[in-house]
Amino acid sequence: MGYHAERVRYSPIVQRPPVRWPGGARVAVWVAPNVEHTEYLPPPNEHMDPWPRTPHPDVREYGFHDYGNRVAFWRLLKVLDRHGIRATVSLNVGVLDHFPEITQAMVERDWDYMLHGVFNTRYLYGATADEERAFYQDCIATVQKHTGKTPKGMLGPAITGTVRTPDLMAEAGLIYHADWIHDDQPVPLEVSGDRRMISIPYSYELNDGPLLKANVDGAEWAEMCKAQFDRLYREGARTGMVMPFSVHPFRIAQPARIDYFESVLEHIRRHDDVWLTTGDEIAQYYLDHHYDEAVAHLAEMARYTSGRRHAG
Amino acid sequence: MDHGLYEWSVLPDRPRLVWPDEARLAVGVVVQLASADEDVTPGLRAASLLGGLGKRPHPDVPLLAHRAYGHRVGVFRLLDALEQYGVPATVAMDVATATRYPFLVDHVLDRGATIVAAGRSAVDLVSEQAAEEVERAYIADTLDALERLTGTRPRGWYGPEYSESTRTPRLLAEAGVGYTLNWVNDDQPYRMTDGLVALPPTYELDDANALLQRKVTISTYGRMLTDSFDVLYRESSDSGRLYLLHLRPWITGQPFRIGQVERALAHVAAHREVWRASTDDMVQAFLQPA
Repeated sequence: MGYHAERVRYSPIVQRPPVRWPGGARVAVWVAPNVEHTEYLPPPNEHMDPWPRTPHPDVREYGFHDYGNRVAFWRLLKVLDRHGIRATVSLNVGVLDHFPEITQAMVERDWDYMLHGVFNTRYLYGATADEERAFYQDCIATVQKHTGKTPKGMLGPAITGTVRTPDLMAEAGLIYHADWIHDDQPVPLEVSGDRRMISIPYSYELNDGPLLKANVDGAEWAEMCKAQFDRLYREGARTGMVMPFSVHPFRIAQPARIDYFESVLEHIRRHDDVWLTTGDEIAQYYLDHHYDEAVAHLAEMARYTSGRRHAG
Repeated sequence: MDHGLYEWSVLPDRPRLVWPDEARLAVGVVVQLASADEDVTPGLRAASLLGGLGKRPHPDVPLLAHRAYGHRVGVFRLLDALEQYGVPATVAMDVATATRYPFLVDHVLDRGATIVAAGRSAVDLVSEQAAEEVERAYIADTLDALERLTGTRPRGWYGPEYSESTRTPRLLAEAGVGYTLNWVNDDQPYRMTDGLVALPPTYELDDANALLQRKVTISTYGRMLTDSFDVLYRESSDSGRLYLLHLRPWITGQPFRIGQVERALAHVAAHREVWRASTDDMVQAFLQPA
């Protein structure tokens, strides 16, 4: 456990005070398109090479990802518009500087902005505390400048981070971190000082990124997403659950896949008691209504001892 | 034979295996509750662990968090499914879990689970490189700790990631362990040379193997579970067979996968002459047929 146990106190989902979403919704659903840019010539990082296939540039990989911003983003947008979905963009903030058309489309729709680094070819691994502090300031300022909104959360750049990440995120005024795929509900993370920070559910297994690299394509992905939703919806009668959609336009909005994505949205929208919302709203609602109760419960669980079982 | 760990035997030539109440098939599920520690036990190798986004630099949040999901959420789905379909739970628990999750120890015992020893932590790989005294101490420390933390000395053993040295079966027998889940080479239990019983899970149905390594789809996995049962059930008309699943809460306890396990268990429960049992009870029945 190590690092996980340092940041996350144990609370089994069956023991927690129930989560109640607005309007008695069973499942809070949030759609997170990862809008990214991968650089033609990324700077070297000793911890991870974005294009290990060849000395840079790797134009095949560059082109495959660039398709997302030139074509697939716009195809995804149509589907989201058709279903009235306000997305939580997991954003490489460099996109705002480079691609004004995308910025404009997101601003017009009042999306929420979850930080996801500057480019998907820049990592937090190896960052000093000062570098990481400057990184948050820069990312937040960039989003504010282009959109007028202040981001509340982060999915680590290419899911990288340091041991200080939750502390420094909280220091920068962020309230949620999406890297932790350890639960179906938001849960408090331990951070320094008296700040508050939570994780909210995200997924790498239902994520179209890793998924479509495997033995799975649109039809199977849709089947998994529907199975996920159906189970959470059933269990959500007892305590509110969260279903994330972590998608990448250059993958899910390929011609062969976009209809499967839409079929999942249609499936979900056929149900009542669903809160179709954003990561920011889930996080804020949880902090306002459930966080204190959750912290009290964690303190209680920390005192749990298995007294009657100890033989010696 | 290139080793002396057990006497060679081919299944069709064996005496008839008789389960309690003339059941054809013994059905069990091993739920693995193991923790992905970042530090390996001194003297052992570090296992290369599945989960998250593959091996990442420290802090590897995706991998640690993915596995923690099992202890926080997934295990309750699996245990509920077992309870619903009347399969006594067998929990392969490591010392790290028993130490850090006293709630789970009580929870699984309250549900009547049998606990099998699963080493100190998932990251420990027992191998030929471990000195004999290191491995002997590892086994003893694991059993002692689990006895202290759960109230009972485990009868069964699972080496993290099915790991063993050439000495393991002997050292386990010397330590008083009755059976091992490490050997996946049969559809029946069998005796090993040192007195240990091998109780083989079906490796092809192991969720890490099928779903993460081979990446079969959820519906294919569900079909594998029932197809496998059907063939074993058919074959068990002449001699008893074993259908033993090995599942991890952070894999099959995910919302999109649990339904396939439930469907398989419902399929099992719809058959007569099936004995749903813990691994302890299976080994007991194998050694002392009624």
